[in-house]
Amino acid sequence: MSSGLPSSDPIVEVINVSKEFRRDQNSIPVLNNVNLQLFRGDYLSLMGPSGSGKTTLLNLLAGLDRPTSGKVLVCGEDLGVLSEGALAKWRSRHVGFIFQLYNLIPVLTAFENVELPLTLTSLSRKERKEHVTTALEVVGLADRMDHFPRQLSGGQEQRVAIARAIVTDPTLLVADEPTGDLDAKSAGEILDLMQRLNSDFQKTIVMVTHDPNAAARAKRTVHLEKGVLVAEPTSVSHSK
Amino acid sequence: MKTFKYIWRNVTRNWIRSSLTILSVGVSLGLMTLLYGFIASQDEWGKEAKKNNRIVVMNVQGFSGQLPIASVDTVRGMQGVDAAVPYSWYGGKYQNKEMPFAQFATDPNEVFNVWPEFTISEEELKAFKENRQGCVVDRRLLAKWGWKVGDRIPLQGTFYPFDLDLQIVGAFDSPQNTDSIWFSWSYLDEGLKQKNFARTGNSGTIFARVGSAEVMPAVIKAIDDRFESSDSPTRSQTEAAFAQMFVDMLGNVRSYIQSIAIAVVFSLSLVTANSMAMSMRERVTEIAVLKAIGFSRLRVLSMILGESMVVTFIGACIGFLIGCMWLQLLNSAIPQYFPFKPAEMIGPWMLTTFVAAAGIGLVSGLIPALKAAQLSVVDGLRRIG
Ligand SMILES: Nc1ncnc2c1ncn2[C@@H]1O[C@H](COP(=O)(O)OP(=O)(O)OP(=O)(O)O)[C@@H](O)[C@H]1O
Ligand SMILES: [Mg+2]
Repeated sequence: MSSGLPSSDPIVEVINVSKEFRRDQNSIPVLNNVNLQLFRGDYLSLMGPSGSGKTTLLNLLAGLDRPTSGKVLVCGEDLGVLSEGALAKWRSRHVGFIFQLYNLIPVLTAFENVELPLTLTSLSRKERKEHVTTALEVVGLADRMDHFPRQLSGGQEQRVAIARAIVTDPTLLVADEPTGDLDAKSAGEILDLMQRLNSDFQKTIVMVTHDPNAAARAKRTVHLEKGVLVAEPTSVSHSK
Repeated sequence: MKTFKYIWRNVTRNWIRSSLTILSVGVSLGLMTLLYGFIASQDEWGKEAKKNNRIVVMNVQGFSGQLPIASVDTVRGMQGVDAAVPYSWYGGKYQNKEMPFAQFATDPNEVFNVWPEFTISEEELKAFKENRQGCVVDRRLLAKWGWKVGDRIPLQGTFYPFDLDLQIVGAFDSPQNTDSIWFSWSYLDEGLKQKNFARTGNSGTIFARVGSAEVMPAVIKAIDDRFESSDSPTRSQTEAAFAQMFVDMLGNVRSYIQSIAIAVVFSLSLVTANSMAMSMRERVTEIAVLKAIGFSRLRVLSMILGESMVVTFIGACIGFLIGCMWLQLLNSAIPQYFPFKPAEMIGPWMLTTFVAAAGIGLVSGLIPALKAAQLSVVDGLRRIG
């Protein structure tokens, strides 16, 4: 199924999700009755104007936030009913994060940054080392493992961040404008890498982007307009 | 990577700020160590004094009163008393310095029986007994002033109208630095008689040694009873109680010291808390990332508490060393107030520095740690988003 149509049950289901933020007395509606399904091996890009609610939706999928109404099911688990502690644990097992500004920990080396999520597992030191090395090899930075983030270029930092995101072998990778801060060449490398994670390692990916070229690398693209999901015609077959 | 490594890197990431915090904790806890060390040295003095089965006999009027020299013989003759000597504080100037060291007029024939834990060579003791103007000196004092046996030590009287012209005939070794010299009571008294001093034939105090600690209360009572109806009634006490008297003369020092300590710990907590809060503010996104990755509240909380504990612990170690160094210096500079080296009074008091540091670490780390633990991941990530 590496390149074919996603099959079996959806691993992510967003059902009638609305989200509003409260500020003082006002509530700001951000997402309005969003429905979305993701299948194993899916690679979805999420586009839309600034402020349309892309990050908000991504946060809901990743279990960082809860919907005001509706449900988010990941692997059949309703994230809405999990306690904060359980949600944190759930994220550590199921979600890998890639941020626009990489968000590596500046005082940790590349190796230690990638190892960070593994410190939450029961893996031994040796096993952790194996996993970290593998992840860094996948992103092509095994030779930079002792470098600190400030000693790396933006593109390299983002690759370390990707290694950190995949090292626990999560169910879902979420990326919020992963190339937003990179030059075209580095951005191309990151997109190649993400495509390879999807095609070679069957990673399920959701990527927010403003860049149509980046979005074109995904298997399908959906648009958010003022909190409403507008699927592209070619992707309709995947949603109900 | 161990969590501690991460904590340590956070401590050192802004090393100027951390060093300043560590230093302020260190210096203040050094002061605390010094104060508690002072209390401990007083206690130690009391404990030391308990071992030696010595009794101090004073006039009921206290230090202002005197005792006739004949009382020494009376005390010496009493049941249970092994040895007794007159012991008068001279308080003279040396080379125009006020009280550079303690000088006591006593009885060369008996004094080393009252202080058997002090040692001196046979020949020097013989010279001390035979030489009227001879004096013996604490060996540490000899070294401090660069004296040699045979040197003359002229002392100008301040309290007594008679100047002494002493010659060092020997040095004694004592368990603690006494910072004292001993000379013959007769030499002083004869000089006072020549000057027609009104109150000759007196000693300031009498020190007596008894056979065992058990008989001390009985001997004390016997001495005071014996002199009760004389011209110079006495107040006798153990050397330990005598030592305690000096401590009590310092007033309520203990509770002052404790209030100072509490104030120090409190203000330090504020300083450290401020520094912690500052470094947390810079790290909001980072903490949000950790939480996104799956770090639990407890883990975030303990990491930040750990950080402030590490800072204050290092401060405590430095403070403890500084405090002990001060105590050591004071011990060599003014041993009459600091008779013990820190190594000679190892005890639970030394923990206070570290307990205080733990308190500072907890209090100062708690608010930033709780804030970080409560931080909403979404808001934290949005900071830069
Ligand atoms: N925690 C919050 N409190 C209040 N309003 C919020 C909060 N988070 C998001 N919003 C609002 O929700 C709307 C959508 O925000 P969101 O970050 O999801 O947009 P976005 O599509 O990711 O935009 P961009 O492309 O600029 O990143 C915005 O108007 C924003 O101000
Ligand atoms: Mg966004």
